[in-house]
Amino acid sequence: MSREPQDPSAPPGAGDGAGGGPPPDSPPQADGDGAHMVRADLLTGVVLLVLGVAVVWMSWEMPRLEVRRIHPATVPGLVPGLLGIALAICGAILAARSVRVARDGAGWRRFGAAFLTTSAARVAVTMALALGYALVLVGWLPFWAASAVFVFVFIMLFERVFASSPHPLWRTVLTAGVQAIIVGVAVSVVFQTGFLVRLP
Amino acid sequence: MFEGLALLGDGVAHFLTLQSLFNVLWATLLGIIIGLLPGLTATMGVALLVTLTYPMAPDQAILSLMCIYVGAIYGGSRTAILLAIPGTPASAATTLDGNPLAMSGKGGLAMGLATTSSALGTLVGIVCLALLAPLLTEAALNFGSYEFFWLALFGVVISGRLTAFDDPIKGYVAGLLGLLVAMIGMEGLHGYRRFTFGMSPLGGGIDLIPAMVGAFGLAEILVVMKRKVSAQIFDASDRVVPRIKDVWKYRRTTVRSGVIGTFVGIVPGVGEDIGAWGSYAAAKRKSAEADRFGKGSLEGLIAAETGNSAAIPGSMIPTLTLALPGSAAAAVLIAAMYIHGIRPGPMLLVENAPFLYQVVAMLALATLAILVLGLALTRVLLRVMTVPRERLMPVVYVLCVVGSFAIAQRMFDVYVMLVFGIIGFFLREMRYPMAPLVMGIILGTLLDVNLRRGLALSNGDLTPFFTRPVSAVICGLVVLSILFSIPVIQRLVTRLFITDRGPQGGSG
Repeated sequence: MSREPQDPSAPPGAGDGAGGGPPPDSPPQADGDGAHMVRADLLTGVVLLVLGVAVVWMSWEMPRLEVRRIHPATVPGLVPGLLGIALAICGAILAARSVRVARDGAGWRRFGAAFLTTSAARVAVTMALALGYALVLVGWLPFWAASAVFVFVFIMLFERVFASSPHPLWRTVLTAGVQAIIVGVAVSVVFQTGFLVRLP
Repeated sequence: MFEGLALLGDGVAHFLTLQSLFNVLWATLLGIIIGLLPGLTATMGVALLVTLTYPMAPDQAILSLMCIYVGAIYGGSRTAILLAIPGTPASAATTLDGNPLAMSGKGGLAMGLATTSSALGTLVGIVCLALLAPLLTEAALNFGSYEFFWLALFGVVISGRLTAFDDPIKGYVAGLLGLLVAMIGMEGLHGYRRFTFGMSPLGGGIDLIPAMVGAFGLAEILVVMKRKVSAQIFDASDRVVPRIKDVWKYRRTTVRSGVIGTFVGIVPGVGEDIGAWGSYAAAKRKSAEADRFGKGSLEGLIAAETGNSAAIPGSMIPTLTLALPGSAAAAVLIAAMYIHGIRPGPMLLVENAPFLYQVVAMLALATLAILVLGLALTRVLLRVMTVPRERLMPVVYVLCVVGSFAIAQRMFDVYVMLVFGIIGFFLREMRYPMAPLVMGIILGTLLDVNLRRGLALSNGDLTPFFTRPVSAVICGLVVLSILFSIPVIQRLVTRLFITDRGPQGGSG
């Protein structure tokens, strides 16, 4: 995401045989969010660098299986090690480039601000619901009930709390409740009797 | 040649049973619906449905999955036209001209032409598949470890290079992460368990299906729920079934886009979306009415829709002959084939020749089905599009959980789905493409085993990797595509061959 003079219409790859189309930059991107993306790239770059180095180290530590007299070029750590090196290089490039592109402090504020928007709250709620359902509800309640609770809470939260012009409360509760029970029961029945899955 | 035709006839006849036709109908319809709904993609549809097709006979299972794939890629066009958001990434190029057409009251015409173009595109691709796959198999039978190593690497690199949004390095990172995921678990040469951290379920490695359900299911749900407002549907009350003369008028565009789409499909891990962009760009260059592109050009719409559909049969060519997925959805299909005991690759034509032609027949039936369903069910499909995401996404997520659990009936796969979903979401937000990740996961083993086997065969000598003719060519391609993603070299080359290719970014 560097704002370097990169040509958006550069021919995609030399050896693709694809007839050379434009890059799939389908979602048009405002230049304004470049600053926080540069910070995100810096962070990911560092994480990737660390991950790459860790992988290299673990690959180096992997047994070479000398007792089994395997060919030294076929040790299990060979490919992961090479991949780790490549990942570390990519991470370093990503991080270095981000550092070079923007040095002012505004980027960090923008980066932090990206986590405080309504969109971020919507994502956080969805993620919490998804985790809560899969990690807590499933296994604690019977599967149909767990699914029904999840569907009900999901609809209620997004149609009441996050909606700009919500329907009357009783209507949302009623329709969400009906949908939740139908989904919970239908999925359980279909999978248990139709596909013979022993649900959690 | 005649043997091929006879096998093709057998393939079609094989599916002319009531049960098969029933499967074609429901699967294609479901595919179209999946494609229609923003946030549900072809890859996710195929990944989720693998579970449902588990109890079926192998041919019927793959038939259903293939119909979902074709249906979903087509279904996305409708959302692109009427909602101005692509139903699947494959119809991003369709949005450019499809939506202006709908705005000017020609939504019906646009939907009709999108349908016929998708069908014709698939047909062009099918012809190429039937002709090229046996030839490629012939060549691939001589491939050894050296060639397969390079092919696997090429698949990941080219996919990373071409699917990255604006930054090839992010494509490569996605590919590397995928390859590293594939390193988890028991390796194929000496049976050593890598990166398991003492967790026994990791010994078997990460299954592709739950990973895909996460990266394309949960991640997509998060993306959809992130958006604040939903889009407005445009009215489309004009005639839907297109006139023959409209279709005939753009025959050149159709054939050209079909061929481009097919060849983009053949490129490993580069699928329908790039097929559409490639055809669109080529059509714009050749068109007499280039200035209409992006403002409601029928030719642009036809090019995009033909291109993305042709990429499906195109992507099946490397998938079936080399076990090298031509697209992300094709990677899931490979996993499904393995589950059903079908081994794609050069030996497929030797061990199971009828299957190749059955795939051709499946694609032909799916094409017929999108033509019929797409033109007949306009109103019903419009109704589906209005299902609010608040109601739909929780149901989809329940299916994601059940779908990933059901394959091996263990919670471990649900955790895999969660991890891939959340990491996948953040990677998407930072504009990392998902296709190279998938390619990495599915090609990792091939790359690892063939590199080390090749080294063992040559006694540690690297030269065969560079001196065998096919190896040398693929190696050259890998090096070139990496070199071309370095800005300095890119600039140098453009300076050397200055052309008047003005900025022509896809988003108009």
